[in-house]
Amino acid sequence: MDPISRPAIVIDNGTGYTKMGFAGNVEPCFVQPTVVAVNDSFVNQPRSAVKNNNWLAQHSAGVMADLDFFIGDEGISRSRSSNAYNLSYPIKYGQVENWDAMERYWQQCIFNYLRCDPEDHYFLLTESPLTAPESREYTGEIMFETFNVPGLYIAVQPVLALAAGYTTSKCEMTGVVVDVGEGATHVVPVADGYVIGSSIRSIPLSGKDVTLFIQQLMRERGEHIPPEDSLDVARKVKESYCYTCSDIVKEYKKHDKEPAKYIKQWRGIKPKTGAPYTCDVGYERFLGPEIFFSPEIYSGELTSSLPEVIDKCIQSTPIDTRRALYKNIVLSGGSTMFKDFHRRLQRDVKKLVDARVLASDALGIGGIKAKPVEVNVVSHPIQRCAVWFGGSVLASTPEFFQACHTKAEYEEHGASICRTNPVFKGMYLYR
Amino acid sequence: MILLSSHSKYLLDILSNRVENAEGVDIERRWTEFSDVCYHIKGSSETPEFLNVSVSFPTPPEETEIEKGLPCGATEAVKVAYGVVVESIVPPDEGFSLTLKLDLSKLPKNKEKRNDMLVKIAAVREVVLGAPLKRILEHLASRTRAPAKDRVITLVHRPKECIFLIPREDKVTVIYPINFEDSIDTVLATSFLQDLAETRRSASLYSAPSCTWSSTPPAELDNATTESLSVNAGFFTFVILPRHVEGKKLDRTVWILSTFHAYVSYHVKCSEAFMHTRMRRRVDSLIQALDRAKPESEKSEECAENRSFRGMLQDHR
Repeated sequence: MDPISRPAIVIDNGTGYTKMGFAGNVEPCFVQPTVVAVNDSFVNQPRSAVKNNNWLAQHSAGVMADLDFFIGDEGISRSRSSNAYNLSYPIKYGQVENWDAMERYWQQCIFNYLRCDPEDHYFLLTESPLTAPESREYTGEIMFETFNVPGLYIAVQPVLALAAGYTTSKCEMTGVVVDVGEGATHVVPVADGYVIGSSIRSIPLSGKDVTLFIQQLMRERGEHIPPEDSLDVARKVKESYCYTCSDIVKEYKKHDKEPAKYIKQWRGIKPKTGAPYTCDVGYERFLGPEIFFSPEIYSGELTSSLPEVIDKCIQSTPIDTRRALYKNIVLSGGSTMFKDFHRRLQRDVKKLVDARVLASDALGIGGIKAKPVEVNVVSHPIQRCAVWFGGSVLASTPEFFQACHTKAEYEEHGASICRTNPVFKGMYLYR
Repeated sequence: MILLSSHSKYLLDILSNRVENAEGVDIERRWTEFSDVCYHIKGSSETPEFLNVSVSFPTPPEETEIEKGLPCGATEAVKVAYGVVVESIVPPDEGFSLTLKLDLSKLPKNKEKRNDMLVKIAAVREVVLGAPLKRILEHLASRTRAPAKDRVITLVHRPKECIFLIPREDKVTVIYPINFEDSIDTVLATSFLQDLAETRRSASLYSAPSCTWSSTPPAELDNATTESLSVNAGFFTFVILPRHVEGKKLDRTVWILSTFHAYVSYHVKCSEAFMHTRMRRRVDSLIQALDRAKPESEKSEECAENRSFRGMLQDHR
């Protein structure tokens, strides 16, 4: 059996969560937070305090400490239970900052979670559209040198999110990907598989901000939640109860008129005493996701809402791609999973677009009216792992193996081959 | 994590989810583990208590004894380990060596015992692949004479990974020829194995099996084929005594011995990763020295050409 006949491994490293699994499957094997818990207790011991007969113990302790780290959920629980472990987040705002931690993270992913031999499988990794080419080179170096992978392809996340929307009838490689993740939100226009780099827009709001906002609201209202748990509780409330409303004022009225129907209860257990407590979840349910549409409720500095940013982004792209981009606005990322998010977004973007068309028609000469622009926001059930799913779809096509960089190429030309990765269409179109 | 765990994390996750949620969903997944073991799991929402798990192993070369596509003793071992929860389906699914139908309603009701059973099911590869080795070690534990004594038994998993066993009444000698394709890997593996043999000699580890490394084939393998004796990282030998296979230790010993090749490969890759860490730390400290070497007047200007080397390097990462 050679690497081509085995399924490829798809690892999507995001700021908050990493999704990893094998190509050909519908969902990833594991979704783990991108965090490494390192045992630092051996690093800072002073040399002078060590006597000769302790040297061997310290040396082997130092050696053990190398392998003594945990990642993901296990890492978080270990760091909570013992002081020896410190958490470190290797990826910030979509970029890898700490390569040591990232290498260790990949090592654990491959050997402990996926339990596969990296020499047997081709790899598909992902990166944010704003990554520097040097970062790709570095990734390639780590993969080929440390793990000896036979082949590697580094894909751009928005292109994979588009691939997630492929059906047997259409394979749209043009669209705007709205990727709202844990750490960063990007609006990325893609035309024919190529990212239009100059039009990428990002807003400083992300899933983390929704959680913080909900935590703030609950605290201001005086809910009795133990402080060390409040961020966690806010996140769980966000995931279970939040929804997107169509109009804030009406929603407030609805809540006030029928509190029993809208106010939910959150039941939790105090970690220190074990006593159960309940708290109300009221306005946060719709105010949380609302920060994307009216950011001024969260912070006075932010003025552009998400629909406005999408509109501006598309207006800055080449004029011949704009209609196609409006027609295919794809959502991806965990924070787009709020109920009715896509409907609200579609309505708001369409309002902006229609207003502009109307204004241009009013200026129109000779009664020429522009064709109305169709706005379509696409949402599908695998949104949370849309990027991973797109990777799984692309990595199961036979063309993937030819598009990858192989170890032989790496040995011949060096890490610079990883700077570019050819774009290829999916399985439904045969050249 | 120093040792590779015997159960498959993903399989255990799927099984526990299935058991916890009363109504199942349609699932079908395929994945591969190290040493070419492929899994396929299928479950439907109408019958939430049944799950079909198929496992496939790489086809062994002709000389090894196999029964129905599995190592000898595997089918009995599966029956013994899992009892009534698991039923093997013959013939197995297309492309797979073994298909098991799990009846989750027959799991023990006690939560702990149930978890133990799930962990055991997730360790199905340990049961199947370790069956021939387990038989030999069981003979050792009971100190009986194995039926074919004084013969070198070869267990071949993949063409380059084979295990030579020489069973005697009071001990079993296990010899591994170690092969690596990459030259750096070969060097690291040689040094790792030599170190492993040396560490065993330290006083605190006297109860562990004694091990030796040699670059030439040990004397016992004189009559084995020359092809399987071509190695680039030497031969590693363990001597297993009856006390290493008593009771509960038997399963553990079987697992460790049967995945030794994967274990060495894992540690070689970890060593490379950590060498990179040290290399990066060294580069950082050298850059600090370079920064200090810049004259004062240049350092105070913050224009583009005069940024420190550290700044340049960080831009590149």
